[in-house]
Amino acid sequence: MNDAEQLDEDLTKLIGRPTGKSRVVLERGPVSYFAIGVCDKSPVYQDPRAAEAAGLPGIPVPPTFSFAWDTWGKFAEMQPDDVPQGSAVGEVVGSLMSKGGVILHGEQEFVYHKPVFVGDVLLGEGKVVDAYRKESKGHVMTFVVTEMVWHDDKTGDLAVTSRSNIIHRL
Amino acid sequence: MMMEALSVLYFEDVKEGDEAPVKKHRLTRTDMVRYAGASGDYMPMHHDEVFAKSIGQPSVFGHGMFSMGLLGAAITDWVGKTALTRYKVRFASQTWPDEELRTQVTVTGRTVDEDGRHLVDMECKLLNSEGDVKVVGEAQAILPSRN
Repeated sequence: MNDAEQLDEDLTKLIGRPTGKSRVVLERGPVSYFAIGVCDKSPVYQDPRAAEAAGLPGIPVPPTFSFAWDTWGKFAEMQPDDVPQGSAVGEVVGSLMSKGGVILHGEQEFVYHKPVFVGDVLLGEGKVVDAYRKESKGHVMTFVVTEMVWHDDKTGDLAVTSRSNIIHRL
Repeated sequence: MMMEALSVLYFEDVKEGDEAPVKKHRLTRTDMVRYAGASGDYMPMHHDEVFAKSIGQPSVFGHGMFSMGLLGAAITDWVGKTALTRYKVRFASQTWPDEELRTQVTVTGRTVDEDGRHLVDMECKLLNSEGDVKVVGEAQAILPSRN
């Protein structure tokens, strides 16, 4: 088996591997500051009275916040016991980067199954959903698509699905 | 602060080809540092000019997720903060300090699905003043109906 065939086989084995599991609390301070961080000046992120005036049951979160929310609110004592060890994507990216190249965020998708609000607790579980390689304009591009599915921890309702396409370009 | 109700966009008010109000923003290095802190993304090419130049970049450049967030703000300012069902983008090119970024959100279709939900599909872009596309994608929102 040559290097390219070996890499294709490694990529195929990556599909379906778990990427992580975490439980997060959506905290008001981080939500409000994240809104400012993306230049969203809506008062509904800053003041519960403004959210109420807009007919909302609480302070909502900006549409891209789920990409960042486990930076906060991922409290040690709340984490599930069966978190996968190691990083499936990290291993592959590390082996690709050993040959040089750059890592790019190619695409990002969010599916919102229901709105979430400050105070909600969510349980997320991730896996690799696709991994492939192609050549383009003299570059070898390796694509790894990961998916994180978040459920409301109290009701079990599906809340947000996040899909990221990460590219290694050599 | 003012507590007046935000204006509501109804399904019947929207037709194919309509555009959301444009949001303009001149990108600064401070934006990048603030987004790094707000998101926890401290990849050094977004805040460390010395590092960025060492990997062959002309300067620091913006986080892709900042661009998606800025565009998301323009979309949800228009359709409502909890209206989105889907939002997807491709990161087409890097953003640079001092670029004037502007959003372009265009309605591409409207439907009532089998569950009676009133859905609006949009194409969305973030561009600079030369018209270079930074981020391009699509979004879908549920709007209230007057009927």
